Amino acid sequence: MTDSDTSYRLSRRKFLAAGGAVALAAACGPAAAPSASPSAAATASAAATTALKPLKIGQLLPFTKVYAELGNSMKRSTDLYLKQKGNKLAGRTVAPPIYEDEANDPVVGAQKTQKFIEQDQVDVMMGIVATPIAYAVRNAIDSAKMIFIETNAGGNSLTRDVPNCTPACKSKYIFRSSFSSWQISAPIGEYFATKRGVKEAFTFVADYGFGTESAADFTNSFTKAGGKVTGSLKAPLGSADFLPFVTQLKNQPTKDIYSFFSGTDAINYIKAWNQLGMPAAGYKMNGAGFLTEQDVLKEVKELANGAVTSLFWAVTLDNAENKAFVDAYQKEYNLLPDVFAVQAWDGMNALDLALQAVKGDTSNKDAFIAALENVKFNSPRGAFEFDKVTHNPIQDMYIRQVAVQNGAAVNTIVDKIARVTDPGKPTT
Amino acid sequence: MSPEVAVQQALNGISFGALLFILAAGLSLIFGMMDVVNLAHGAFYMLGAYIALTVVQRTGQFWLGLVLAPLLVGALGLAIEPLLLRRLRGRHLDQVLLTIGISLVIGDLIGLIAGREIRSLPFPAGLDHSVPIMGGDYPVYRLFVIAFGLALAALFAFVHRRSRIGALIRAGVDDAPMLAALGVDIDRLFATTFGVGAALAAVAGVIAAPVFGVFPGMDVDALIYSLIVVVVGGLGTLSGAIAGGALVGPADTFGKVLFPQFALALIFAIVAFVLLLRPTGLLGRVRIVR
Repeated sequence: MTDSDTSYRLSRRKFLAAGGAVALAAACGPAAAPSASPSAAATASAAATTALKPLKIGQLLPFTKVYAELGNSMKRSTDLYLKQKGNKLAGRTVAPPIYEDEANDPVVGAQKTQKFIEQDQVDVMMGIVATPIAYAVRNAIDSAKMIFIETNAGGNSLTRDVPNCTPACKSKYIFRSSFSSWQISAPIGEYFATKRGVKEAFTFVADYGFGTESAADFTNSFTKAGGKVTGSLKAPLGSADFLPFVTQLKNQPTKDIYSFFSGTDAINYIKAWNQLGMPAAGYKMNGAGFLTEQDVLKEVKELANGAVTSLFWAVTLDNAENKAFVDAYQKEYNLLPDVFAVQAWDGMNALDLALQAVKGDTSNKDAFIAALENVKFNSPRGAFEFDKVTHNPIQDMYIRQVAVQNGAAVNTIVDKIARVTDPGKPTT
Repeated sequence: MSPEVAVQQALNGISFGALLFILAAGLSLIFGMMDVVNLAHGAFYMLGAYIALTVVQRTGQFWLGLVLAPLLVGALGLAIEPLLLRRLRGRHLDQVLLTIGISLVIGDLIGLIAGREIRSLPFPAGLDHSVPIMGGDYPVYRLFVIAFGLALAALFAFVHRRSRIGALIRAGVDDAPMLAALGVDIDRLFATTFGVGAALAAVAGVIAAPVFGVFPGMDVDALIYSLIVVVVGGLGTLSGAIAGGALVGPADTFGKVLFPQFALALIFAIVAFVLLLRPTGLLGRVRIVR
C-alpha cells in the first residue's frame, strides 16, 4: 500500500512536470518525460512514428509482500541489461522503465495495467510474477493490442488454446520469456518413469492454480510412461505449519514424493521434512525446480541435499552466456542472479533482437510481433526461441540434483531434456 | 488413522496451538487492559523475528535473540504509547488507523534495512533433532514450543491471580476510570501494558520464526492468526487466548489431515462456528459500556 501510494504521488508529480514539458516540446519532437494528457500524447505519438521517440517499457512487478524479492531481482536484471546497452535498444533511446507494484493482487495488477495502457501508453509491457494477475489482465492487454512479455507467471492457459478462454488463453500480443508449468512438471514425470525406473510416486503440492496444474501435468506424463501415482496431498498456499502434512507423507508407503512449492513454503516444507527424519526413512524429495531455487537453497542449505528437480536453468549451468551473465550481475550487484533474473534478462534480450529486426520501430504491431516470433538467441539457459504458435519458449529442461560442494548447497546438472515445447492446448 | 499417527498429529496440533497462544497473548493483553485493538501486533512480531535473525547471524546465539528481541520491541512499545497512542484514548477508529500506520512504517523500514528476501531462522542448537515417540520421530523443537506455551500460560495465571500487577490488570479490565480515581497512575499502567504486549509479540516472533519463516508479509499472517485466536477464545481475557490456541491449533491440524479439501477455509469455519454458538467467544464476557 505505502509503495503504491508513494509511486502514485511521484508519478503524478512527474505527470504534472511532464505536462509542462510536453506542452512546450510537443511541436519540436521527442519528449523525454512520460506523456501527460491524452491529447498531448496523441500529438506526440503522431510526430513520433517518424522521429522514434524514446521507447517506453512498463514493468509490472511485485515490490511488496512475499514476492517482493522476485520483483527486485527482475528489476535489477532489466536495469543491468539497459545499462550494458547504454539505454539504447536497436539505436532507439529507451526511457527509464516505468516500474509499478503489482502487490500480489489481481485488482491492483489490473489497475496498473490500465495505467500502462491509458496514462503511460507504453510501447511494451513486461513483468507479472503471479499467475492469477496474468490471467486477470489477459483480456485488457489483448483488446488494447499492447505487446506484453510475461517474465514469470507460468500458468499453462496464458499461452494455450483454451475452450471459452477460461481462465485465460493465448493472445497474439502476449509472449512469455519464462516457462509454462507443464514444461517444468511433465518432462520430469516421464524422466522418472523411463530413466530412473521409478514405479510409484506420490504428489504433494501447494493448493492453488499453479500447484494443481503442476501435479496434474506430472501425474499425466508419469502415468503415460508406465508409472503409477499412488496418492496426492495438497497444502494451502502459505501454510504456516507443514508438520501435519509431512506426518501424513511419512505414514504412506510410496517413497518418491513429487512436490511443487516455492519461496517460504518450500523452506518450511524442507525443514519439516528433515525434522521428521524423512531422508533416513528412505523418502526422496523431488519436484519442479522452484522447490530448490537459490532463494530457498541459501536458507535450507544441506537440508535439501539429494533433492531432484527440473528447471530450465541453474546458476551452475556451464555455457558462455551464463558465465557472462552471472559475472556481470555479480559485479554490478555483488550477489548471485536467480532464475527470475534470467527470465527478465531473456525478456529484454528478445525485445532487443526484435527491435533490431524492425529497426526500432514498434508502430507496426504485426511486424513487431512477427519479429518477436522469429527471435532466436543463446540465453544463459541455453538456446532460446518462442514457439510461433503459442509464444511460449521452446527450451531445454535440466534435471538437477542438490549436492553439497565446498560447504555450499548447489543444484548440479545431472541430465537434460532437449527442446521441451508446451503442447499448446489442455492435456488429458 | 493408526494410533501412532493420531498421537503424532495430536502433538502437531497442540504445538501449533501453543504457538498460536504465544502469538495472541500480547494482543489479548493490550485489548483487555486498554481496550485498544493493536493492529501493529503483527509488525511487532515481525520486528522480533528480524531482530532474532540479525542476532543469530552475528553471534549464532538463538537465546540471546530471544532475550534481546522482546527488550528492544518492548522499549519501542513503551515509547509509542505515551508519544502516539495516549492522545487517542477512547477513540477506537483513530487507534485502529494509528496502529495500522505504525505497522506499515515498521514493515517498510524492515524491508529497507534487512531486505525483502525470504529468510529462515535455523532451529537452535540442542533443539534441532528428533526423539522417538510411539514409534515415530518427533522434533524436539515442537516439544519445546509446547513447554514454552504452558510455562507462559502458567506465568500469566500466577501474575493475574496472585500478584499486585495482576490485581491492577483485573481492576483495569473491569473499570479503568474507577482505578484512576482510586489513585493508580493509569498512564504509567497503560504504557507498561503496551510495552509488555509488544514484547510478547516479539517473543512470539522469535519462537515462531524457525517454524513459520521470516519474510515480508509475515506481519499480516501473524496478525490474522492472532485475531482469530482472540476472537475464538474471547476478546481481552488471557484465559481466552489460551482457550483459543487450544481449540484452533488441534482443530486446524486434524481438519487439514482429515478433510484436506477444506484445509484452506477450515480455520475460518471454526471461527464462524464458535461465534454462532458463543458470540463473545469461548470465554468472552459481555463488556459493560457506559
